[in-house]
Amino acid sequence: MSRVGAVIRREFVERVRRKSFWVMAMLGPVFFAAVFLVPLLLSQGGGVRRLVVVDRTTTAFGAAVAARLDSTRGFVVVRRIPGAPGVEDSLAGEVGARRIEGFLLLSDSLLDAGTAEYRASNVSSLDDIGLLRETLGRVAENARLERAGVNPRVVAQAQLRVSLQTNKITRGRTTGESAGQSFALAYFMMVTLYVALLLYGVQVMGSVIDEKASRIVEVLVSSVRPFQLLFGKVLGVGAVSLLQFLIWGVAGRALLGQRAALMSHMTDGGQEMGQIFQAPHVSLATAVVFVAFFLGGFFLYSAMFAAVAAMSSTEQEARQSQAPVTVLIMIAFFSSFATLANPESRLSVALSLVPFTSPIATPARWAAGNLSWIDVTTSFVLLVIGTVAVTWIAARIYRVGILMTGKRPNLRELGRWIRAG
Amino acid sequence: MASASPSPTPILILDRVSKRFAGHTAVDDLSLSVPRGVIYGLLGPNGAGKTTTLRMIMDILEPDAGAVRLFGDPGGGRRHSERIGYLPEERGLYRKMRVLDVLVFLGEMKGMDRRRAGQQAGDWLARLGLADWRLRRVDELSKGMQQKVQFIATVLHDPDLVILDEPFSGLDPVNTQVMKDVVLDLHGRGKTILFSTHIMEQAEKLCEQLCIIARGRKLVDGALSDIKRTHGGHHLVIGFDGNPGAAAHLFADKELVSRVDNYGQYAELELAAGADAQRLLAGLVSSGARLSRFELQEASLHKIFIDLVGPEPAGDGSSRE
Repeated sequence: MSRVGAVIRREFVERVRRKSFWVMAMLGPVFFAAVFLVPLLLSQGGGVRRLVVVDRTTTAFGAAVAARLDSTRGFVVVRRIPGAPGVEDSLAGEVGARRIEGFLLLSDSLLDAGTAEYRASNVSSLDDIGLLRETLGRVAENARLERAGVNPRVVAQAQLRVSLQTNKITRGRTTGESAGQSFALAYFMMVTLYVALLLYGVQVMGSVIDEKASRIVEVLVSSVRPFQLLFGKVLGVGAVSLLQFLIWGVAGRALLGQRAALMSHMTDGGQEMGQIFQAPHVSLATAVVFVAFFLGGFFLYSAMFAAVAAMSSTEQEARQSQAPVTVLIMIAFFSSFATLANPESRLSVALSLVPFTSPIATPARWAAGNLSWIDVTTSFVLLVIGTVAVTWIAARIYRVGILMTGKRPNLRELGRWIRAG
Repeated sequence: MASASPSPTPILILDRVSKRFAGHTAVDDLSLSVPRGVIYGLLGPNGAGKTTTLRMIMDILEPDAGAVRLFGDPGGGRRHSERIGYLPEERGLYRKMRVLDVLVFLGEMKGMDRRRAGQQAGDWLARLGLADWRLRRVDELSKGMQQKVQFIATVLHDPDLVILDEPFSGLDPVNTQVMKDVVLDLHGRGKTILFSTHIMEQAEKLCEQLCIIARGRKLVDGALSDIKRTHGGHHLVIGFDGNPGAAAHLFADKELVSRVDNYGQYAELELAAGADAQRLLAGLVSSGARLSRFELQEASLHKIFIDLVGPEPAGDGSSRE
């Protein structure tokens, strides 16, 4: 057993000693921040729109719209001008010269038929258009009600916005976790699991191919059994990944502490998004589920990566042959989005029972939904059974493959390798 | 290279070992026995099954039939790996690791503790002139230096049995010398060395005992001197002093002579199997031939090897195991 210890130790020390480990340790939190912030920033569309209101209304309605728009954080009304003929062309020129981003053409038809026109350099930002439509609709609604004789104060009261507070019930207890928080947690766990499974699975593959290509493996298997060597290798790389998680976890905590400051720079929509991406509370149970399924998935996929490496003679060859394994992890990741939308759907349940997808799907369901411990345990037991079966096959391929050079085996030869073990 | 008389229990016994791969038999019913304290050569052309045999001894491959006994115990080398040093034909090291770290790790794989492995590695590196390189990465070393590190890794744990697969292949002249010195030094300290080679000149200089195999089968084994005695002595050189007598007639007798290269006053010939050189001598003398020279020559191992293996020694060279 001390020899397996030496294998574990070598894998761990050599990896942690490398610069790339510490680069990953630093870049990890930056990467995760990017995963969350880039979609936010993209949807922001970048800052305040300056616009001109061309007011062809015959009432004070145009002024009310301009004032309301100006009070939002998305728009600044540069000026309100009456609708002289040819004004569109000169304003279009201003847009072209980037003095304003666009202009809004208002007439009485907004009140009567509900139509208005917005011309701008960018009309594809859903946020901008949504905000504009909402503001116009609100002002128009007010004006119509008032025109019909309703007391403006009653109107104001009637239009009080609904603030829906979400509170997640997990295993019969209200957690104080909002919909946004549990979504964020599930999303975060999915991304982390996906990246880690790929990253460390590929490292096991690299380690196997390194020993095979340098031929040192022949000396090693004269002292330890091939399975012990593989086992030590996977444990060593696994220990590195846990250390990496620890570093990321600590760094992530620190970064989340600064999240409020980051979010405050965002505009109107930022508040809502900020609410969605609140720092989730990571309970001990969640951490246990996460680590358990990561390790299960890591063993499962590392065994497959090791088998791929054992079948190949060079690193390039291994990289070409790894596609089936990589695709399987990608399927696990992308299909798990279905569990975010509906953690109780039949698809979600299936995904968390299949060992190839459950390492990502089950933690996501756990975070997003209302999984019982029985569900989690069933999923985990199936994962363990799957992992043992896959490892058994992979170890046989590994055992024969590490001594083979030259042509890659075809399926029939592979079958013979597995039987020969 | 006088050795202590081999102790009665052999250090290694192969008992009718066979190994088949898809399509061909690499080792076929091979038996041999390596006494303690000798330098033993496993000789054969490429593709003869030498590497497969060594891998079965080392537990890297499992024999399909037959048994391996090491140090008197049944089973292959993994259980005894702390007493065996193994240098495969295809050698490698971790290129990205430091020299000393590689050696300590490989020592640990042989059951050494880290401290002792580090000490021994340091001593060996100093002895082979690599002391300044101990903290450098392996891929910074020249090929020759890496070969030295590989020798060190093989003998670091002071094994009783050292198994070397084609140890001299790919070595530069300096390292060939180093390798030879290491082997002789180990032998002088009572260790047993088993090595494979297809280069007979080396085997002839180093081996006390040997086994020649071809196409997976044993052709002959035993002490080098015995093999030379039984398989040599067929080569005859004859010089005449004027009258060759009935030489031409006698040389044509297929019962006596299998091959002849006759120059008139000088002839080299091969005696037929089982033929007695004395009969030929008697025949020549009685026919009135005057002889200046009649010499039975000891055959070189190379010659014996060629005679045994036959003119197409490579076998199906594609079957590198």
